[in-house]
Amino acid sequence: MITASGITKTYKQRGNLLGARAVPALRGVDFAIERGGAVTFIGESGCGKTTLGRIVAGLETYDSGDIVIDGTPMSSLKPRHREPFFRRIQLIHQDPYSALNPTRTIHQTLAAPLALRAKQTGRGKAWMEERARELLALVGIDPGYVLPRYPHQLSGGMRQRVVIARALTVDPEVLVADESVSMIDVSLRLGVLALLKDLRERLNVSVLFITHDIATARYIGGDGELYVIYRGQVVESGPTERVISGPVHPYTQSLLSAIPVLHGVERPGPERVVPTEALNEAHPDTGCLFARRCPFRTDQCEAEAPPLVSDGEQSHACYHPKRRDVIPVEAVA
Amino acid sequence: MTRTSAPGVRVKDLTVVYKTPAGELPALGGVSLSLAPGTITGIVGESGSGKSTLALSLLNAVQPPGRIKEGVVDIDGLGNVVELTGEELRRARGRQVGYVFQAAQNSLNPLKTVGKQLLDLGRSHDFDDLPALLKDARALLGRMGLDGGRVLDSYQHELSGGMRQRVGIMFALVLNAHLVVLDEPTTALDMITQAAILKIVRDVHHERGLTTLIITHDMGVAAEVTDSLAVMYGGRVVEHGPTTEVLGSPRHPYTKGLIRAIPRLSGDIDEARALPGRPPTLGTIPKQGCVFRERCPMRIAVCDTVDPEPVTRDARTVACHAVGRPATPVVPKEYV
Repeated sequence: MITASGITKTYKQRGNLLGARAVPALRGVDFAIERGGAVTFIGESGCGKTTLGRIVAGLETYDSGDIVIDGTPMSSLKPRHREPFFRRIQLIHQDPYSALNPTRTIHQTLAAPLALRAKQTGRGKAWMEERARELLALVGIDPGYVLPRYPHQLSGGMRQRVVIARALTVDPEVLVADESVSMIDVSLRLGVLALLKDLRERLNVSVLFITHDIATARYIGGDGELYVIYRGQVVESGPTERVISGPVHPYTQSLLSAIPVLHGVERPGPERVVPTEALNEAHPDTGCLFARRCPFRTDQCEAEAPPLVSDGEQSHACYHPKRRDVIPVEAVA
Repeated sequence: MTRTSAPGVRVKDLTVVYKTPAGELPALGGVSLSLAPGTITGIVGESGSGKSTLALSLLNAVQPPGRIKEGVVDIDGLGNVVELTGEELRRARGRQVGYVFQAAQNSLNPLKTVGKQLLDLGRSHDFDDLPALLKDARALLGRMGLDGGRVLDSYQHELSGGMRQRVGIMFALVLNAHLVVLDEPTTALDMITQAAILKIVRDVHHERGLTTLIITHDMGVAAEVTDSLAVMYGGRVVEHGPTTEVLGSPRHPYTKGLIRAIPRLSGDIDEARALPGRPPTLGTIPKQGCVFRERCPMRIAVCDTVDPEPVTRDARTVACHAVGRPATPVVPKEYV
């Protein structure tokens, strides 16, 4: 169980004569991942979802707030004592083409973390060999074919599976998948998604899924929690299926409305929402962060920031929450 | 000669080969495809399906080691593009055929402002009235929701991904081309920006009376904007027809599989199924027989040896042995 509370992160941009400009990437984010659960972060590029994933995986520091892993707050530990905790959380990179060392065979790539594991558990070379084969079989590729090969000899889908196998070498409890299928061919995408879903069920691994494609979130973690992030803040959250079918925040509605409709298979939702402007980091930080782009804004929105309120399941940060039918409707043949 | 109406395009038996150490390998194996004047056609395919090669062929711009081996690309007002060379070809590019390149961020010159690049374009096409060109560009950018003056004074690094994409579209349209090819116009953009760009593409298409071709790997993008949809696989067009019909009642097993492999927001998510196997690369495209047979659930004996011919019926073209004809020849029964 991982609980994050009030995570903030501000990047300092190198400034001009007037000094450095602070870019807030995260403005106090709370969430929890349960064992075997699925948590999805969605949002536009630049909303801070990737930063959040890297913080959870221990690859990035945070300014304030805390991450509690199985009851141990990370802020109470020295960096080197945090390592064993963060090792249980593994990041699957977005780009399988650059995530593997091109000068190493897949065998070498898997051997390094396995050697660490073998040392920890007092097992030998034979176990490493066996485990490497077992892991590759687990992610659905033929170990005999893949092990002696270099990354460039494999297809994108295979590479992504190798990346997942490598993440599994240290027996993680959480996989952080950051846009893990966006670089893969369409017909192979669902296979990788199905693999992640399968790993959740078989190994009881939790998946933290970071994406801008909400439909894939529905496939992997339909039973999990969804967090909609906008400019470093959670604006809506709740059970994935519930948020998708009944979004109340205009930003969630904009994201859902933007998903292309497969005309012929489905019809567009009747109340699609289009933001009035494009994302602009220069928009003021006062009031609701989405106000400038929101078609339903009032004076109150620009003056005061709406708090995140919850009905027990679904939370939203909006003064004028209203359910709208924005997702496509299946066309009846 | 400047055309003011949307041109039609007819591609016939186009074969493009790439020279490799293993000999000349076909990236396009005899593709035939017509773009009706004034329509938006989408070409959907995975990497290696030949969709970008086909798009480049419309400009006769296939780069070595690739070459157009045979076939005809006939564009109204230009003739057979395959036979154009040198100066004629250079003038047609941009003037008559506008091209929006994949990854617009890489197609702008990082050392020059957008405006300077626009002036270069104008001079290379012998525009006398450069101020008018700038005015047109500003109007186009304004039409797409940007501050034209500011964008023209910007370097590419000062623009966001969505803005660069719009600049790319402006470059394709500013010389008044009526055939516009967009190669992966929304890849690497997020959903909301993608929706905005697609709306712009559709609106500008109608306002200016264009013939538009959109190359994409994303079925959703094609579904959202196109009138007509061609599905490519292994250097062939396997299915082509009106978009809603191709999506609503796909005939080719590849199209069927591809549509089922898309996780959707509507309907039962567990019905989504991955397509087995993986797409062929240039080197693994089978020499004979159907290119899709290795992954096909409807494979029959003839698929191993004979490449299926595209068959057109009711405005739908399908290249598959198992579709549209009975599995066994129908012999009229004799009743006694």
